[in-house]
Parts: sequence; C-alpha cells; structure tokens
Amino acid sequence: MIESKRRRRVIGNIATYFVLATLSMFCIGPMIWMFLTSLKYEADIVTQTMQYIPRRVTFDNYVAIWTQSGFPRLIANSLVVTFLTVTICVATGTLAAYAFSRFAFRGRTQLMLGYLVVRMFPAVMMIIPLYVVMRSVGLVDSRFGLALAYTSFLLPLFVWMLKGFFDSAPRELESAARIDGSTRLGAMVRIVMPLARNGLVASSVFIAIAAWNEFLFALMLTTGQGSRTWPVGLQLMVGEFQLPWGVLAAGGILSILPVIVLFAIVQRTMVQGLTAGAIKG
Amino acid sequence: MRALGELSETRYWMYLLLLPSLVMILLVIAYPTLYGMAISFREMRLTRPGLGGWVGFKHYAAMWSDPVFWIALKNTVVWVTAAVVMELALGLLAATALNRDLPGTKIFAVLILLPYFLPNVVAGHMWALLLDPRLGVINDLLVRVGVLQTYKAWFADPNTALAATVLVEAWHGFPFFALLLLAGLKSIPEDLYKAAAVDGAGVSAQLRLITLPMLRTVIAAAVILRVIGLVNSPDLLLILTGGGPGDATQVLSLYAFQTAYKEFNFGYASALSVVMFVILMIFAVAYIRLSRITKGEGDD
Repeated sequence: MIESKRRRRVIGNIATYFVLATLSMFCIGPMIWMFLTSLKYEADIVTQTMQYIPRRVTFDNYVAIWTQSGFPRLIANSLVVTFLTVTICVATGTLAAYAFSRFAFRGRTQLMLGYLVVRMFPAVMMIIPLYVVMRSVGLVDSRFGLALAYTSFLLPLFVWMLKGFFDSAPRELESAARIDGSTRLGAMVRIVMPLARNGLVASSVFIAIAAWNEFLFALMLTTGQGSRTWPVGLQLMVGEFQLPWGVLAAGGILSILPVIVLFAIVQRTMVQGLTAGAIKG
Repeated sequence: MRALGELSETRYWMYLLLLPSLVMILLVIAYPTLYGMAISFREMRLTRPGLGGWVGFKHYAAMWSDPVFWIALKNTVVWVTAAVVMELALGLLAATALNRDLPGTKIFAVLILLPYFLPNVVAGHMWALLLDPRLGVINDLLVRVGVLQTYKAWFADPNTALAATVLVEAWHGFPFFALLLLAGLKSIPEDLYKAAAVDGAGVSAQLRLITLPMLRTVIAAAVILRVIGLVNSPDLLLILTGGGPGDATQVLSLYAFQTAYKEFNFGYASALSVVMFVILMIFAVAYIRLSRITKGEGDD
C-alpha cells in the first residue's frame, strides 16, 4: 500500500518534470535558435543541410546590424520614448494609485472601473484620432508625442498595478506617523513610498518593457529617422532591404537583451503585481 | 513643501492627487475616443484633404456590403477562439505542473513566463525563421521524423496560415494564463485536496470537483482580458502575414489598421474599429453575466 503510493508519487514527479521541461523548451527553444542563427555565417544559414550546432561562429552579424543600419539611432529613440513614458506614468500615476488605495471618496468605484474599461478600447480606435490630433499640434514624429500616446494605455495599467502594491503596504505605520504629527503628504512620502518601493519599481519596469516593445502606435505615429523606435525600424529593414536572417537575428537578440535583464531582476515582484488584481476579483 | 503639507490635510487632498492622471487620461484617452467616434461618421482621407463632411452612417452601410469585413469578422472569431483555447489548455498544464513546487520549479517558472514579455516584432520574425519554407528548422525536424515529405510554406498556404499564426500567438500568450492560473491554484487551500483524497477522490475527480470550480473566477478573468487583448491587437498578424494569403488571416483589427495606415481612409477605419469595440463590449457583458462574476473583476 505504502509502496504503491510512493511509486505513484515518483511517477507523478517524473511526469511533472517532463511537462515542465517540454514547456520550457517550447518557450525558449525559439530564442535559442535565434541566438544560434545570429552567430552563423549567412552561408551556413541558407545551406542545404541544416546545421543544428554552428560549425563556425562569427560576430559579423552583430557588427553589421550595429554599424550598417541606423540601429543605434533606433535604440536611442526607444530609450528616450521609454524613459518619457515611465516618467509621465510615475509622476501622475503614483499619486492616483495612492489616492485610490488610501481614501474613500465619492465616485471612487466608478473612476476605478473607468480606468479598467479604457483597456477595452481598440488600439486602432485610439491611433486614428491620436494621429489626427497630434498632427494638428505638431506631435507626429516626435518622441514626446509617442510617449504621450503610450500613456493612453499604460497609465491605467500602471495605476491598477501600483494600487495593489499600496494596498498591501500596512496602514499601521502610516497611522503612527500621523499621530506623531506628520501630515498626510509627509506620511505618504516618508512611510508609504519606501514600503511600496519594490512594487513601484516592478510596475515601472512592466510599463517600461511594454513601451520598449510597442509596435503599432510607433508604426503609425513616427515617419522619420528622428523618432522611429527599434521595432518599427527593424520591421521596415526586413521589408525594404531583405535583411539577411543572421543580421535580423542579431538585431532581435540585441533588442530583447534589456527586456530579459530587467525581467530577470524584478520578475518575482512583477508577477505578484500582475496576478493580484485578477485573483481578488 | 509646508504649504503642500497643509494642503494635504484638507478634504480636497485626494482629488488633488487624482488630478494629474485624470488630466492625462482626458487628454489622451477620452478626447481622442470621442473624436474617433465622430470621425467614423465623417469622410476623412488624408490623401484627399478636400473631403471632410459628415456622411452619417455611410461607412457603416458600406461595411454591411463589404465582403472583406465579413471574412475578417469570421477570422477574428476563429483566430481568437482557437488561440484562447490553446493558451488556456497550455496555461493550465503549466500552472498545474508548477504548483507541485518540486525542486527547481522556480527556474522553470521564469523560463515559461519569458515569451509573454518579448516584443511582437521579434516573436514574429523568430517564428517566421523557424517555419521558413526554405530553411526553417521545424520543417527540417518534421521531414526527419517523417511527418512531412517536403518543406512546407506554412504562412503562404491559405489552409495552414491561420493555424500557424495561432501557434505563434499561443507561444506568446500562454504564459499569461499560466501566471494567473498558478496564482489561482496557490489560493486553493491544501486541506480541500486532503479531505477529497480521504474520501477516495482520484486525480481526475479532484480536478473536476475542486480545481476547476475554485479556479472559475480566475479563468473567467484571464479569458476576458486575453480576448480583449487579442481582438484589439493586430501586431503579430501584421508582422507574420499582413492578412494574407488573400484574406486568409485578415482580422478586424488588422483590416481597420491597414485601412488607416495604407489607404489613409480614416473614416472607414474608424467605423470598423467602433464596430469592433461594440462587439467586444457586448461579448464582455454577456461573458461576465454568464460566468457570474458578480463583484466585477479586480473590484475591492
């Protein structure tokens, strides 16, 4: 009886590891293949017999994408747009998330639902009027304009996520500070913000990744080298210059590198924040 | 600073805190949305600036007799349903396996979550390379195993194009389900399973009688968020197929985007996206009713 129970558990464990290994392979296999491709000579990529392990390794593809296209410029633009988006969201969204988390006031529920419903608006429905409006005020093809456009879908997300982190910061310390004569502002800045620091970082990283990756708004709202971000640039390079696979793979690897690094650093807190909202409902 | 501190003691403080984000949202969401709805009742083509008058329901009437609209509508339903079903199944599998908390699970969890955070542009081209008709490694593997005779042009064949894009989307989106379902699983008390085991319930009975009912709200929330995301974002299809071959992978969001981006027909594109939004709203309300999330998702 006990023997068969143990055997069943061992079989269960083996099955679990098998499932996990298979799914992990499905998830990162494509990325590994892209990485291997980025290290191959073009002749070894288009060869008749598939090379699973590259016989010779080269970094030419990385040199090519970095020097022979406007790639550094694209990356710089993406960095600026991402930075501006995060700045706007943190500056305005932190205050809103704090208000939603700590105060009861008229219209709170409706306002919070409103912040949720805007996520249902189709991107295309926003892109067209944003394009028309921004063209009339000269914000098309501007990095600031693109960051403003990103705010339209990332600010509500940021507020919701951060509110969850504020909710889980204990109120007792705040009350104690208030009794000691601190103002609401003082308690917020000196007590609550430090307590929710990890959450603030995780929420910021989440919207930073989203802004870094964004493609559709950028395709519509940027027309020239001055503000074009890397996803649009890479996509246009594929279309216009028939970019060789190796160079494209190198570009892909370079552009997801920051995402992977940031994700690795804050993934635990970020996962916590992403799931909190859905579970409570 | 002191003045601000004093201000924070007044009863208008919370409204002051909300003001900056509210201004932003009115500026970049509310106004453009209303303006966009207005555009759908107007003639607006950037290539012909002379046009600009109100045309009432002209675009909506044109949609009714536009065969591409109906194809795109059908494809949207098929594409979203297939992708969500696949992602839910894979997500449930991953979450159940991760929830057993065997040693090393944390590393697997990170690897499994990674695709969700990758950009569509890279995901699209990565899979285009994997499935390439000339040098795709998946074709090579399938030929070696004997499933295929020759390499297949997955995205160029109208019969396989939609299925191939669903596979890519499932790869990209299933970690989202795994994430939410895992959190849901963790919130189920262990005692329930112990009690069920004492009563002689097997693995499948436990899944049917405990896990799935306890996960119902999480599944409902995940499905609705994913459906909204999938209906609204044409990115992956734009990169992989551009709606082709023919209109085999044309969906509503992509059709609306291309109408605006390629043809500059903003009026018709706006009308298309308004219809899409209305369909989505009806679906969301009906779905929430059906799955009886009375409290409203994410509400306190």
